[in-house]
Amino acid sequence: MEAIEWIKFLAGALLLLLGTTIFIFEMIGVFRFKYVLNRMHAAAMGDTLGIGACILGLIIMNGMNLTSLKLFVVIIFLWFSSPVSSHLIARLEVTTDEEQDKHYRRLILSQVEESCERNNCEEKNRKQESREQSNCEEKCRVQAAEKEEVK
Amino acid sequence: MGKGIEGLEQAYEILFTAILIFLAVLALLCLLRAVIGPKTADRIVAVNMLGTMVIVMIAVLTLMLQEDYLADICVIYAMISFLAVIVLTKVYMGVYLERKKIAEMSGETKSGEYTAGDEPGKCDGNDKAEK
Repeated sequence: MEAIEWIKFLAGALLLLLGTTIFIFEMIGVFRFKYVLNRMHAAAMGDTLGIGACILGLIIMNGMNLTSLKLFVVIIFLWFSSPVSSHLIARLEVTTDEEQDKHYRRLILSQVEESCERNNCEEKNRKQESREQSNCEEKCRVQAAEKEEVK
Repeated sequence: MGKGIEGLEQAYEILFTAILIFLAVLALLCLLRAVIGPKTADRIVAVNMLGTMVIVMIAVLTLMLQEDYLADICVIYAMISFLAVIVLTKVYMGVYLERKKIAEMSGETKSGEYTAGDEPGKCDGNDKAEK
């Protein structure tokens, strides 16, 4: 029995330390980044992975209990609430930001598509090879993906 | 914890104390982030992080003190910190939009004035963050 208790302790301690390490990374990220939307990226890490690892470690130490179930409910709740609060904070930042041009640029979908199509046609005219066409299409797809990411 | 096994009780005690001290230091850093801002969204993010760390601290205390009711407090704390974020963002956005509306109504030529000093989200640290 003693050995099992020790193994439980070691596994729990490992997970707790992992969670604390993730909290440290979170703090480093929050102090290094220079803008709110970047900082949120670092802050969301602790909300899901950090607290998940910490509480999973505590559950392993505690064994199967009603207390463990309650702690598990906390993890589930935070998994649902963290994206919602991140979304709200991001929307607050975007609506109240006075100097948007300094922080990020907005891409309008229709304009990007037009320029992409134009490039596509020009390259097709220039080089009729199918390989070039596939390259061109790939470029177009990459551009679309980038545009979506920025959006 | 430990159930009378030699050495294990002490090990649990040391681990929990160390993690509590660590989390306390990180919570202080969170508080520092909340104080230096520089924008309202920064402060709300910091408060959210602080809430997460306090939840972990309460969860550790549940096992350390063997008080099961602290787990309930953990759940309630998670809900309240989520509610705090929602209320803060909604209230601040409402206040901002209302001020913008008033400024636009009072004269479009003067609309730039309220951004200079009146807006609560901005302070002197704003320039520092943008470098």
